[in-house]
Amino acid sequence: MIDTAYTAPQEVARLQRAALIVGIVGLLALGAGAFFEPLQFWRSYLVGYLLWAGIAIGALALLMLQHLTGGGWGLVIRRVLEAATRTLPLMLVLFIPILLGAHSIYSWTNAEVIAAHPALQEKVRYLNLTFFSVRAVIVFAIWLLLAFFLNRWSRQQDLTGDRALAKKMRVLSGPGMVLFVFTVTVAAIDWVMSLDPEWSSTIFGLLFVAAWSLSALAFSIALTAWLTKREPMAHVVAALHFHDLGKLLLALVMLWAYFSYSQFLIIWSGNLPEEIRWYLPRTHGTWGVIALVVVILHFALPFLFLLSRRFKRDPHKLVLVAVLILIMRYVDLLWVVAPNFPGTGFHLSWMDLVAPIGFGGVWLAAFSRQLRSRPLMPLNDPQLPSVLEQAHEHHESEDFIEEASA
Amino acid sequence: MADEHQSDAPHHTTVPVIDPGLTFASVTDKISSIVLKRKTPLAWFIGFAISFILFQLMMLAITNLVFVGIGLWGVNVPVAWGIDILNFVWWIGIGHAGTLISAILLLLRQQWRTSINRFAEAMTLFAVAQAGMYPIFHLGRPWLAYWLFPYPNTMGVWPQFRSPLMWDVFAVSTYATVSAMFWFVGLIPDFATLRDRAQSKPFQIIYGWFAMGWRGSARHWHRYEMAYLLLAGLATPLVLSVHTIVSFDFAAGIIPGWHATIFPPYFVAGAIYAGFAMVLFLTIPLRKFYGLEGFITMRHVHNMAKVMLATGLIVGYGYVVEAFFGWYSGNKYERYMIWNRMHGPYAVYYWALILCNIITPQFLWIKKVRSNLLLLWLISIVVSIGMWLERFVIVVTSLHRDFLPSSWGMYQPTQWDWAMFVGTLGFFFSLLFLFIRFLPMISIFEMRTILPEAEVEE
Amino acid sequence: MAEFDNPTDLVAAARRTYQAGYRRINGYSPYPIEELSEAIGFTHTALPIIVLIGGVLGGLGGFFMQYWMEVINYPLNVGGKPYNSWPAFIPITFECTILCAALAAVFGMLALNKLPQPYHPVFNAPNFALATRDSFFLVIEASDRKFEHDAVMKFMSGLGPKDLVDVEV
Repeated sequence: MIDTAYTAPQEVARLQRAALIVGIVGLLALGAGAFFEPLQFWRSYLVGYLLWAGIAIGALALLMLQHLTGGGWGLVIRRVLEAATRTLPLMLVLFIPILLGAHSIYSWTNAEVIAAHPALQEKVRYLNLTFFSVRAVIVFAIWLLLAFFLNRWSRQQDLTGDRALAKKMRVLSGPGMVLFVFTVTVAAIDWVMSLDPEWSSTIFGLLFVAAWSLSALAFSIALTAWLTKREPMAHVVAALHFHDLGKLLLALVMLWAYFSYSQFLIIWSGNLPEEIRWYLPRTHGTWGVIALVVVILHFALPFLFLLSRRFKRDPHKLVLVAVLILIMRYVDLLWVVAPNFPGTGFHLSWMDLVAPIGFGGVWLAAFSRQLRSRPLMPLNDPQLPSVLEQAHEHHESEDFIEEASA
Repeated sequence: MADEHQSDAPHHTTVPVIDPGLTFASVTDKISSIVLKRKTPLAWFIGFAISFILFQLMMLAITNLVFVGIGLWGVNVPVAWGIDILNFVWWIGIGHAGTLISAILLLLRQQWRTSINRFAEAMTLFAVAQAGMYPIFHLGRPWLAYWLFPYPNTMGVWPQFRSPLMWDVFAVSTYATVSAMFWFVGLIPDFATLRDRAQSKPFQIIYGWFAMGWRGSARHWHRYEMAYLLLAGLATPLVLSVHTIVSFDFAAGIIPGWHATIFPPYFVAGAIYAGFAMVLFLTIPLRKFYGLEGFITMRHVHNMAKVMLATGLIVGYGYVVEAFFGWYSGNKYERYMIWNRMHGPYAVYYWALILCNIITPQFLWIKKVRSNLLLLWLISIVVSIGMWLERFVIVVTSLHRDFLPSSWGMYQPTQWDWAMFVGTLGFFFSLLFLFIRFLPMISIFEMRTILPEAEVEE
Repeated sequence: MAEFDNPTDLVAAARRTYQAGYRRINGYSPYPIEELSEAIGFTHTALPIIVLIGGVLGGLGGFFMQYWMEVINYPLNVGGKPYNSWPAFIPITFECTILCAALAAVFGMLALNKLPQPYHPVFNAPNFALATRDSFFLVIEASDRKFEHDAVMKFMSGLGPKDLVDVEV
């Protein structure tokens, strides 16, 4: 029988322990690296941080999206998304080192650099450490508030079954989405674009909205596929839901590629010195090869696979693409961030590998803990019965087909 | 991601997409009778006559233009693109809502699209027809327009494929072709319905000719559905690419105010925004006039208002980002461009567009406004004007202050510019009037599929 | 040819006919019924492959047309951009892909359906004009291997149709 409390399976607790050990070891090793190569440390720290923070932040967008649109796909990943947004306080704590190390990361904190670049002298009114910190506090405050209310109401819905709560969450999600897009734009400009303070691109905020939503979706799909192997989710999630999730993944892959290509083509066509110089190091030498790898593995390959209906409906296959995309999200971030750090040309360090693993471990541990703390399905959502019915019908017809073919 | 607002799950609303009292027979008869039986209302003749007269104004404007040359228009140096190009962008943007409704909502399995998709597709085709004329006549020697296509020629040269204007040629002609095919394929089963219902021989022959012998065979339906779905899958990226390429016309150059990487999504959202405003502007009176409230329900109206709100917000985001980056870029030309938009000679256009495009749609957050047809209709007019102003600001204010103050200039559209614009409005409405008179404005066979009795009970 | 007045009866009858071993059968309905094409054993169509081929040919053709014209046949330096300006060739490549795939979809569908076909024997059936309104038809064609006039008529009247007619070929 189906477990109507939808308690998380034991494996989640095991994942939490394993992830925590990996995470602590990874972050300690990374911390040790700070003493040998401080610059490299900050580069790896920033990229690793952005990868996992992106999943937590992107989850907020998907959570609001599913409140706005409804549909079975949203319901089956809702608890995963909610748990991911509850890791935002952890990501706030992990952001503090970036503030402390800003002098090693962002050249605009350096008075000599500013003195040498007249174009920057006016920009320091925006790009200065105080305002930078204030903006970080504001964007985090907005994300935390949105996450807080959406999680709290969802919890209340479980307990009381009050129908008005679904509407409340939806009503918050509309303006929430607007706030989200603006805050992510601010974060993308501050944390990433200002690595090169003289360069600017107006699509950059949207590019991160797409990229972080994509990260969160790929992670949610991978985790849901993993959960679906076990009870209670095995009885809830049907091929139909993976099909819809796969379609959304395809849409986001295309959206990300569309924004990236648009930015590239416009800058390449205009060929203005202050703009094209962002692309020159990234499209030549080893970074150029990596750019090609990103185009193929972040866009072309997932795109081709996700076109197939059968592929999207099979969680074992879909999870492969989701993991590939997560890995490529890291490579893409590295490609965007790393060339801005001093030390010309291409180089990788062991810290570039340790950082995403360390952050990933700590983040996954926090995530698993949050996931376990609540039922895996919203118990009293008005849509739940219809989703269960869909899944039930679907499993029956699968059995029927198996019998028929046997 | 705000563009996903459009899909509305069933649990959100209890308003049905179709009047529950309808049957196969009544749906068929009700829609086809508009074309076949009902007496053409007097208002139709009046409306068509007005549109047709305005259409003649366009013919006059074009004839004069071809004889005299584009000196007739207000374009000059530095403002070499005037309201002709802005009308091109405006019209093609209006077309996009049609494709969006028919293709994207089909893929998202949104049933509410069914009763408006045919009309929206027709609107697309007619709007693209208006749009296509502007760049052709702007060539100055429109009879040489075929030079734009890569054909082997005695001059021995090929088109310049690095130019976004060439991309536009391919994008717009592909868009027109695919939209026409999508529309025609959707019409085939309805042509068969009309063929079997028509009472006079000539109509039977004409509709029968277009129906191509459609007989509703299960095998045909199966392939037909597949083809329709594939076309929708192709039309979706196509429609996004078309306005993206239109935005490249501007963004690929280096003119401050044009050269911005945000342009592609910003233009696409603006196009959908203007397009949905136009759909609302047309359907609100139409459903009332032809008694189609059972097909185009309040649910449609709500959803379209929500799409307008979502895309309007993206456009608003575009303005904010443009203004911020004008300053943040640190480029003095960019900064001047933004300052000039807000305080220069065309500032009134800029603030009017902020009022029309950002302030006005905020009322759509309120459910009461979304349910008030008159208000909604007025908002749709305001937004249509706002989107026209937006293109004016983008096209004209970016050009009129060239890099050197000695090359600065001003632009004023002439009466012939306006004649052409008003004329294309006339042409557009003439085509629409003919469409609602001679073709089923609601897809009959798709309406049948969403009736409760269409369900096969197991 | 048997006439039904609702889709459920038609699909049930089509299933029974298929199970009875008739293969050259066809259903006629005023709108697409997914279950009906399954019931008559028609679930596969080559259309997606045709569209894929159309798209691939269009894309390759679009890109290499530009490549050939700008790089091989008449290389011209425009604005210092490379001859092979592939980033600028992508929009047209994309449009050609879509155009050819869409043409393949429409003309592929028409060709597979053998349309236009102005005359077909089923049009001779007296009530067939209602197939585009609210009637549902099931046909067993005379070319079926199992076809035997009287047996078929008897079988079909057992399906409980609203009306049963013999259509001259």
